[in-house]
Amino acid sequence: MKRKTNNLENAIIVDNVYKKFKLVYDKPFTLKERFIFWKNTRVGYHEVLKNVNVEIKKGETVALIGVNGSGKSTLLKLMTKIIYPTNGNIITNGKLTSLLELGAGFHPDFTGRENIYFNASIFGLTAKEIDARVQEIIDFSELGEFIEAPVRTYSSGMYMRLAFSVAINVDADILLIDEILAVGDQHFQDKCFAKLEELKKSDKTIVIVSHSLGSVKKLCDRAIWLYNGEIRKDGDTKEVIDEYLKVCG
Amino acid sequence: MIRELYNYRQLLKSNVRKEIRGKYKGSFLGVLWSFVNPLLTTLVYAIVFPFILKSAQNHYTTFIVIAILPWNYFTTVISQGTSTVLMNGNLLKKVYFPRSILPISINVSGLINFLISCLIIAIFLICSGIGFSFYILFLPLIVLIQFILLQGIIFITSSINVYVRDLEYIINFFIAMLFYATPVLYSMDMFPESIQNILHLNPMTTIIESYRDIFFYQQMPNLIHLGLVFLLSIVILWIGIVVFKKLEKGFAEEL
Repeated sequence: MKRKTNNLENAIIVDNVYKKFKLVYDKPFTLKERFIFWKNTRVGYHEVLKNVNVEIKKGETVALIGVNGSGKSTLLKLMTKIIYPTNGNIITNGKLTSLLELGAGFHPDFTGRENIYFNASIFGLTAKEIDARVQEIIDFSELGEFIEAPVRTYSSGMYMRLAFSVAINVDADILLIDEILAVGDQHFQDKCFAKLEELKKSDKTIVIVSHSLGSVKKLCDRAIWLYNGEIRKDGDTKEVIDEYLKVCG
Repeated sequence: MIRELYNYRQLLKSNVRKEIRGKYKGSFLGVLWSFVNPLLTTLVYAIVFPFILKSAQNHYTTFIVIAILPWNYFTTVISQGTSTVLMNGNLLKKVYFPRSILPISINVSGLINFLISCLIIAIFLICSGIGFSFYILFLPLIVLIQFILLQGIIFITSSINVYVRDLEYIINFFIAMLFYATPVLYSMDMFPESIQNILHLNPMTTIIESYRDIFFYQQMPNLIHLGLVFLLSIVILWIGIVVFKKLEKGFAEEL
């Protein structure tokens, strides 16, 4: 297979990617276990992604759909560089932010404001950039005066709202989102959705893993259906979803 | 690697702040504990050891406080640094950021703590009447060497600890042993030369001796020893970076 060159029009290039997970039963974590059971550990391999080729252009909004265990989240994690492919290459162009889980890295004893600084710095922002955004983030989260209270006193909804507000306001070129559109109450969900549409219009690249096909249909122009680690269909959202529903629905 | 770290400098800053402030959040004395703690340890040693060691130094309290503070820096960074990647597993699995930030921020926050606690050394030097000399100008060099040495060690231990989790316990035991092989509570001239040579295989021996030279004895530190330790530290740092780079790709899957 011909290797794809780094084309600047593409935000993400997934080139011939394979990902195998090693499954070790009774994994030896300590030396004792390693010595005693060194022949007893059964090792299996689980191939999660097979020969995946995707090119996502700048400004596209793409949904990854598929049943549980089809490799959607793994593909997303590979794009974020949290894990690395067994074979093949992944190239990304531009600043990338991933929302795999909201509020990763919040410190419960710190106030909401302090956590904004900490969380945004995980996404690679400098102090100046955060200063410029902090008011916007607070307004978006609608936390009001609670922003000065420690995060451990927050309700789970408030926690999520704060986390989402930080992640969505970091101004990345590429946004990877894993099934977190269902944040907060209806009002806040609508707001998030509006924000995503706004980002889409401002030419950001967005990749969403989601099971809520309704919102996917509204937001994305392209869908990729993963089935058992392979791409089953890639194209117009409506067509892909219709066929997906026929097979899996 | 350096460019990426520069891009994420804010994360390094807030992580250091989190290490320093987060540790004492909820306690009454707060950050003061990083003063009180070494003072209490010093107090215990200063009371107990003159009984055991008959030939205790003049100004014995000052003598040990100069060594205990850098030793504290050493042990804290190594034990926290070794477990830092494992402790932050949740974060590693969910967000991308340069993984090396974690061990670096442990070392930097340890360094800041140590530099602040140098005030204690100053107070002891003044109160005991020893005072200061211009040899104190060597302090940045010695601190730099210790910093590099520590960074190299925890790059290696923090990444291996993800795969072999016994390492934490082995390291903690090892440090406890090393305490007695480092001239913290005693001075090297208690021993014949053959034993001194063995003790000098421990790089912390030279570092502690150098601190003592510039603060306590007010003399030139042994530049040959110090230079050798500097070289060794750079080699260890280099090995550390190579090991860490190699192992970090598997962190999210192993945790």
